[in-house]
Amino acid sequence: MSFRRKLLLLFALTVAVSVAAVAWLVSAMTRRAFQLTNDQRTAALVTQFQRQFAQQGDEIARRVELIAGSEPISRMAAAVERSPGDLGGYFDMTRSLAEGYRLDFLEFVDSKGTIISSAQWPAKFGYPESAFANFSAWANQPAFLKHEELQDSAALGLFAVRTARVGEHPLYVIGGRRLDKSFLSALDLPADIRALLYQNRGDHFSPEWVIDPTANSTIVRLPEKLAPLIDAVRQENREMSVVVHWTGNKADDELFHAFPLRGADKDRAVLAILLVANSRRGWVELERRIRDSAMLVGGGGILLAVILGSWAAARVTRPVEQLAMAAQDVAGGNWNARVEVSGHDEVAQLADSFNRMTAELLTQKERLVQAERVAAWRELARRLAHELKNPLFPLQLTVENLLRARQSGPQQFEEIFNESSTTLLAEISNLKTIVSRFSEFSKMPQPQMESVQINDLVRGVAQLFQAQFEAPGRPAIQCKLELANGIEPIAADPQLLHRALSNLVLNAMDAMPQGGALTLRTLRRYDKVAIEIADTGSGLTREECERIFTPYYTSKQHGTGLGLAIVQSVVSDHGGTISVSSEPGRGTTFVIELLMGKEKLQTIAAKDSPAKVSASGGLG
Amino acid sequence: MRRFVWLWLAISSLVGAQCALSETRPQYGGTLHVSLHAAPGSLDPASATDSFELRNLTSLLFETMVETDDAGRLRPGLSSSWQSGSNQRRWQFRLRRGIKFHDGTLLTAEGAAAALRAANPAWRVLSEADQVIIELDAPNATFPAELALRRHAIVKRNSDGSLAGTGPFHISDWQPGKKLSLAAEESYWRGRPFVDAIEIELGKNTHDQQLAFELGRAQLIDVPAEQVHRDAMAGYHAISSQPIELLALVFTREAQSPEEKALREALALSIERSSIRNVLLQGTGQPTASILPNWMNGYGFVFPTDANLSAARHAREQVRATPAWTISYDAGDGLSRLIAERVTLNARDAELNLQPTSNSSADVRLARIPLTSDARSALVEVARAADLPMPKIASDSADDLYTAESAMLSSRRLIPLFHLPVNYACAATVKACQVSSSGAWNLQNVWLGPPKP
Amino acid sequence: MRSAVYNSAIPKVINPAAGMASGVRLLTFFLFVLALPLCVHAADWNAPEQQLAHKIVAITGPGAIAVTIDNRSTLGQREVEIVSNGLRAALEATGIRSATPEQAVATVAISLSENPRAYVWVAEIHQGSAAPVVVMISAVRPEGTTLAHDSVPLMLRKTAVWSQQDRILDVLALDDAPTPAHIAVLSAENISLYRMQNAKWTLEESLAIVHARPWPRDLRGRLFSAKDHLLDAYLPGMICHATASAPLALNCRESDDPWPLAPISLTSSAPPSFGTSSAAQSAVMSTSAFFASSRNFFTGALAPSVGKFSTVAKFFSSAAISREKYVLWLFASVDGQVHLVDGVTDQAARLNWGSDIASVKTGCGAGWQVLATSSDTQNGDQVRAFEFPDRDPVPVSAAMDFPGEITALWTESKGDTAIAVVQNRESGEYEAVRLAVACNQ
Repeated sequence: MSFRRKLLLLFALTVAVSVAAVAWLVSAMTRRAFQLTNDQRTAALVTQFQRQFAQQGDEIARRVELIAGSEPISRMAAAVERSPGDLGGYFDMTRSLAEGYRLDFLEFVDSKGTIISSAQWPAKFGYPESAFANFSAWANQPAFLKHEELQDSAALGLFAVRTARVGEHPLYVIGGRRLDKSFLSALDLPADIRALLYQNRGDHFSPEWVIDPTANSTIVRLPEKLAPLIDAVRQENREMSVVVHWTGNKADDELFHAFPLRGADKDRAVLAILLVANSRRGWVELERRIRDSAMLVGGGGILLAVILGSWAAARVTRPVEQLAMAAQDVAGGNWNARVEVSGHDEVAQLADSFNRMTAELLTQKERLVQAERVAAWRELARRLAHELKNPLFPLQLTVENLLRARQSGPQQFEEIFNESSTTLLAEISNLKTIVSRFSEFSKMPQPQMESVQINDLVRGVAQLFQAQFEAPGRPAIQCKLELANGIEPIAADPQLLHRALSNLVLNAMDAMPQGGALTLRTLRRYDKVAIEIADTGSGLTREECERIFTPYYTSKQHGTGLGLAIVQSVVSDHGGTISVSSEPGRGTTFVIELLMGKEKLQTIAAKDSPAKVSASGGLG
Repeated sequence: MRRFVWLWLAISSLVGAQCALSETRPQYGGTLHVSLHAAPGSLDPASATDSFELRNLTSLLFETMVETDDAGRLRPGLSSSWQSGSNQRRWQFRLRRGIKFHDGTLLTAEGAAAALRAANPAWRVLSEADQVIIELDAPNATFPAELALRRHAIVKRNSDGSLAGTGPFHISDWQPGKKLSLAAEESYWRGRPFVDAIEIELGKNTHDQQLAFELGRAQLIDVPAEQVHRDAMAGYHAISSQPIELLALVFTREAQSPEEKALREALALSIERSSIRNVLLQGTGQPTASILPNWMNGYGFVFPTDANLSAARHAREQVRATPAWTISYDAGDGLSRLIAERVTLNARDAELNLQPTSNSSADVRLARIPLTSDARSALVEVARAADLPMPKIASDSADDLYTAESAMLSSRRLIPLFHLPVNYACAATVKACQVSSSGAWNLQNVWLGPPKP
Repeated sequence: MRSAVYNSAIPKVINPAAGMASGVRLLTFFLFVLALPLCVHAADWNAPEQQLAHKIVAITGPGAIAVTIDNRSTLGQREVEIVSNGLRAALEATGIRSATPEQAVATVAISLSENPRAYVWVAEIHQGSAAPVVVMISAVRPEGTTLAHDSVPLMLRKTAVWSQQDRILDVLALDDAPTPAHIAVLSAENISLYRMQNAKWTLEESLAIVHARPWPRDLRGRLFSAKDHLLDAYLPGMICHATASAPLALNCRESDDPWPLAPISLTSSAPPSFGTSSAAQSAVMSTSAFFASSRNFFTGALAPSVGKFSTVAKFFSSAAISREKYVLWLFASVDGQVHLVDGVTDQAARLNWGSDIASVKTGCGAGWQVLATSSDTQNGDQVRAFEFPDRDPVPVSAAMDFPGEITALWTESKGDTAIAVVQNRESGEYEAVRLAVACNQ
């Protein structure tokens, strides 16, 4: 990854993280603030609802009071006083009064607790009103909750009891409103607040007791979802709040506040549970808006940051890139690479330093080349002297032996002469060999590239040495070929490569005087082909490994030290690399890596084709 | 002197005839406006539903061969005389001459026979000169009384669906269930009615009726039983028949076991008729445990009407399992609903499980069964209405009636509760406004006096 | 008018005693009224008593039985006593001994009840804890009986003459006796002649009225005695003459001839008791009026005219008061007003009278009284006598109550009494009574 990209990425990451962090922080804080406001609002609404509820109760009490004080009731009370047994004429009086005063429940009960008239259950006249043990205790109390038994069901109502008294016997007026849909609908509530009621009957939650005035709304609200809240309130007998998720859409969620409504009887049983639902739609939508805004701002910021960052990165990295390219050039051997210096900042100083460094390096290199050349010449001279000294010493001894032999008899001389001339010839030949070898090294030709099947080449080399591996009189060497399939031809000089490989095989054979295993292996590595020559010989020390490719370095007793130098030269001329790995006593492995050189192959193919045509033409 | 005379006149008028009105002699003319609660969809007397409203409405249009008076005695109607063969299977009715249908055609024996045939396909009705001959499958001594029933009125059913009768009025406009306009039949054989026309608004609720009455838009309204005393107190001129309508609990099926009979007995014993009468009926009507009212049979008091809760519980305890009965009532009848609810409450006191419903398919229904003034016909009609076996009544002696009635009640299909009168309220301007003891209103005799000064 | 009455007293036997004007006579009449039903029925109860006793003993067998008798019918107290005694006697005759409930083997609760057609006597027999046994008998009750209401004998007196189920249009006394013994009764379909024989009315003859057209509702008609034949009957659109000699026959013809407004005796020679007579009187008194043939009123056309008035407003009835120089006619017109016509002026007054008026000429007061009906919605109609010192009526009697609506009020032929026909609300029967003004009080 380029420095510019890294820098860009860094910029973008930094900006994104910062924006996200800020957005989250702002969102969280806003949410918290809104939550707080919402809670306060809900609390206010719930209070308002409770006030409404209480007002309804007061209103009911007021209406019952009005009925108790009305003229017909006074007359009725007088009739009760006068003839308590004859009250049949009043049995349906409650119905019209209940309608007139908009009450759902209205009963007139005489002083003995017998119903004179009942609007909610007209047929119940003459039966005792069993809900109250002591009517006078209830009279003038504020409105209270009570379950009212009806013809075929029971209903929950908000009741008030008042007394109409003309003489000695009071007449009780019990009025109330049913806590039903219409009651709840009549409550003056804000738009997103709704009130539900659960009539607490039976031991378990049952959806049929949920009174929901908004049940026909478009959102499907299954009352069963209220069951956990209601059950919890029933169990714990206290106010509770919970968010109810009606649908997958969070906007449909509602925050429910559940209040147990207790009866006014002795045990104050929970008769109903009032559920005030506060829609979270507004809040959720606000939250969504904030989140969307945050994402929009964050995204825009990040995009801007990327654009600006890329511009800034380009500005910052251009000199560095130039430096890097120059350095690459230098690394590639172009010691003349230079960087343009502009400005006076650190990068400019770096560029300047680079320029000076390359200049210095160039100078140093030239000096080094000079020194190496001198050293090479010295080494060559030393080698040459050494090589030449070795045959020269027998020559000197032979010649001195001849000289002494002339003093002896002719026969002896003859004998010695013949012997000495043989030795002299041999040594001279040896000298010639040494000289030719040096000559050969100096005359290493430029490789002539052609398409070469590496596997075929390796196989040829193995075949060439097959007889020597198994030659009698010496321990056998087992040669193993491990050739990778499907290696495409590469551009190479088969003669030079063959020579290089042969050198390496010879070295290996030298390294295994006691015999062993030689493994020739070819491998495909990406765009390269690798040839491994591994022996199981004595191995090399680390120092030997480092110096092994130096010309004229040899570990052998009779080596010129040019073999591996030639190998490296060949490999190098092919644009490949050679490496060695070895461990003393375990053997040595040479690895030659060569480029596939597809372009070169194409060039070769292009060159070959016309030649072949002309050749064939010539023959023809 | 003159001043003294006037003073005396004034005082004596106050003392003597405070309510004296100006008219006693019937006057012809005018339109009588009637508002009724009932909303019949058909005026055909043969239609299935029977009610006093329908009887009274159709009586203005159609007449029967034989009529019954308030004492249940047979009187000649369209037929002047009748006789039967010795086996009482063949009955001959001699038709009055010169009676015309409203469309001007003469009522002939064949016309009457055709009308009877159409309404009673089971009968074999023949005509011979001025006689209508009816041959029955079985002897029937009370056949003329049956012929006096409203559903056997002589109706000429025209091909266009219109009906023509021989009654005192003919139809001038008929909007089923809404309005009926009648015009006096000039050539009515018993004399033209006094009023020229009757406009009858149908299907009105009590409140609307009373309002119309107060405002003078209706001069005659029907008054539900529970309103009679209140209306009387409010100054209405209410007229009532004898208690002639039977309000009873009718079980839809025969009791399947002695246990079920015991439970029905318990239900009958649990009902507190007196409080229902005093309160729900506002003192109107007669509590009854007999099918026929006491005024009609003379022995109705023998059947005890008082609730006996301990006996009811005792009967109830004879049975281990209690079925949950449903009791149905006419949803449009507020009184029936209240009574059904009260009966339910009473039943609960006897630990019976009764549930009121307006659904018609109930175990018990609270039925209003209109009776006729003839006791035997009335019993037959009740049996028909309650789906009981036809009673066998040897004669119209009290003893035989009692035997038949006891047999009908012993099946426990029927628990009589009340006999209710038929009630109307007439405006002061409506003269001769009377309802017979059998609930007939006889509007042909009504005439309109001048409005109050 | 008033509401129908349930279980009302069922009317009893007619009282033919009539025409007694004095207090003594009245007392006699009341005693007769009370005694008659007892006499009539005393013998009749025997059979049903026996019948019920036998039915009871068939259940209980002879022995000690506690009997209670309860009256649920309209029988009077004395009748109940008679029946009770009869029943006990009948029971004893069957071997039943009366005992207290503690000693008795059975208790029998007898209820004397009734239905519209019969007396129903019911015995509920309780023996031990068994369910009570009910036995009953019915005793047919007489039809068409009626009981006249008491009159208040202040100045108006009424005497029952005749009653029947069918509508009475008019009653004509065919003799001059204060208590008529020979009467003709005009009904819609016939004229019936009755004669009092042995304190009972006996039907002499019933002459059918043959008419082709249907009668109008609220049919009205009049009977007048005639000089040369028995009587004339005036009906809407029809006049009938009854021959005087036997065999009696009724000749009816369709006719719209006017009806005499006053009886013949008033129009011809005045009776001696009037004292004076004048040509003017008799001329005016002979006035007739045309009756609408299909309605219930006079058309208003007079023949001859009253002074300059040949027509007056349509009216239901008329009355005439003779003055010295003229006759004051009163017409109860259809519109509810009373028109006072003296030949020169026609003065309409709203007197709150009913539509039936009639004049009677008596020896007391101003000599002439007008009887006028009025209606009481709660009870029956009333009749009161008025005099006209000038043009304003002065009531001269207390209002007399009638047990129903008065359907006819006509001056009788002698002119000193009037016949009123009332339909009894309870029995539904029509009762004809003679109204007289008692001026000797």
